[in-house]
Amino acid sequence: MRSIRSGISVYTLGLPVLLVVVLGLAIPSFLAPQNLANVSGQITALLIVTLGQMVVALVAGIDLSVGSVISLASCLVATQADPLTGVALALLLGLAVGLVNGAGVALAGIHPLIMTLSTMTFLQGLAFLILPIPGGQIPPSLRELANGTLWGLPQPLLWCALCAGAVALLLHRTRLGLHLFAVGANAHSAQLNGVRTAGVVIAAYAVCSLLAVVSGIYLAARVAAGDPSMGAAFGLESVTAVALGGVQLTGGVGSIVGAITGALSLGLITNGINLFGVSPFLRGAFTGALLLVAVCVQRRRSVGL
Amino acid sequence: MTTNPPPAAAPAPSAARRALRWLFALPPAYLGTAVLLLLAAMLRPQLLSMFLLPLIARQAAPLGLAVIGQSLVMRARSIDLSSGGVIVAVSYILTSGYFPVSDAVAMAMCVGLGLCVGVLNGVLIVKARASSMIVTLAVAMILLGIVIALSQFRAPGDAPEFLRAFARQRWWGVPLPVLLWLAVLVPVALLLRSTVFGRYLDAVGANPQAAALSGIPYLRVIFVGHVASALVSVICGFILVGFVGKGSITLGQDLALNSLAAAILGGVNFGNGKGGMAGPAVAAFMLTFLFNFLTSLGLGEPGRLMLQGAIIAAAALAWSLNRGRTS
Repeated sequence: MRSIRSGISVYTLGLPVLLVVVLGLAIPSFLAPQNLANVSGQITALLIVTLGQMVVALVAGIDLSVGSVISLASCLVATQADPLTGVALALLLGLAVGLVNGAGVALAGIHPLIMTLSTMTFLQGLAFLILPIPGGQIPPSLRELANGTLWGLPQPLLWCALCAGAVALLLHRTRLGLHLFAVGANAHSAQLNGVRTAGVVIAAYAVCSLLAVVSGIYLAARVAAGDPSMGAAFGLESVTAVALGGVQLTGGVGSIVGAITGALSLGLITNGINLFGVSPFLRGAFTGALLLVAVCVQRRRSVGL
Repeated sequence: MTTNPPPAAAPAPSAARRALRWLFALPPAYLGTAVLLLLAAMLRPQLLSMFLLPLIARQAAPLGLAVIGQSLVMRARSIDLSSGGVIVAVSYILTSGYFPVSDAVAMAMCVGLGLCVGVLNGVLIVKARASSMIVTLAVAMILLGIVIALSQFRAPGDAPEFLRAFARQRWWGVPLPVLLWLAVLVPVALLLRSTVFGRYLDAVGANPQAAALSGIPYLRVIFVGHVASALVSVICGFILVGFVGKGSITLGQDLALNSLAAAILGGVNFGNGKGGMAGPAVAAFMLTFLFNFLTSLGLGEPGRLMLQGAIIAAAALAWSLNRGRTS
């Protein structure tokens, strides 16, 4: 039962392992500490968003607005002089976006694609309003948090561990976590069994937006600037990563491990394409082909979405 | 589009209230278009001139066509996000000069490509049971990636003269692309209304399991929907290439998500068998008019995007809340 619910299969676990083995054997510089630090830095942002996307996918939703939330968070942090104000503002905003998305989907019954598409457009505009061109100031204390090392380990790993740990606690040690799976598997049954489905869905979107904000703060700290179009690609990339990790977009099936392996696979593909010297323009084609293979080997029962 | 009768227990509503209820039960595209036209008449009357209005309708044609394909697959609880990739590939085949063939052959190649994409989408979704969202997204990524990589070596060339002339020409004052849009729209609408396939499509969307148990070839219905949608994307590509007159790798990239928005604003929703073909067509015009209207207000990019998002959300909200009350 557990393995059915987690969506983990040989393929989801095997893909990142295979990628590491192939890259490690083919390119000696892949395992160099410098490259590994690079990879972990690149994957961290995607991993954090993917965790959020996974939570929303658990309740059969999808959040396309995460990309704009990332951009907006980076702009907010970059335009505030005090790092604490910036971070607090960004988190508050993330919470508000999540509540709006969740309320639109759960209370008003708007399809998640259309709801998050409209918030995505709105927030993209807001980001351009706050910071028309990339720039701004990131306080050194914040930059240190994303680029430094702690006990010899690169800081990005700490961000990953904290976020994954928090989501793991949420999913497996709280009532809400259980309810997320219940609502995703069968919303009607969950409701009949006394689960307040609307609240659960709203909470899922709020968690997703908050994680997107964290990812945006991390990215801004890493590149030491805000950028109103920084996150644009993350909406579809996080959906891709979630699908690579065996999470089902129809709800009820997914796991932390799946989200991590999905983000890891996608990040390793990018890194591998760089290292192999393949034209970066072909990266999309490679990712797409891999994605096709990955979803086709994980046969589902339902047809369609 | 049938409206539910008012509940019997409620006191008989006045004629005005009934009319209002009927109005609100229409897909949001109709009311939205009316409000937008009214606002434009007050703020920017020149948008409604006989010169600009056909131009806006012409600009709406690709979206209007794309939403036909999108609504076909949405009715069967599927989704097609591959149109951006198909359009870029069409643009490359027609304009790169990489294929030294006549324009007619190049266009035939485009149709062939659309057929291949549609069949691939359909097979993977129906046979491999892969998520249609991921499959069509991945196909779009592959096509776009290949075209971008290839076009590094060649500057984009000009579009075939035939397509450019087609985009410019008017018959009886109506731009040809609009006529083409209608020429696809009307048969498809009739097809849905009065053929077995149309009934199958709604049955599959309403309840795939029940449809399968009733002996409806439901996998084939979904498959056909995807092939049709990909072919429609090719036609969109032809029109867009004709508009721009040159090859471009950014052509039609917003069409996939906009067609989704237009389908939903036009009253089509994933697999509830509701909504005709007129609603989405009006929604396509509404969105295109909205983009033009916001641009004409001179708001700049931020304000335009924010208003656009807010208006799509408001229309979807009005529609959802109203649907929740009447059903």
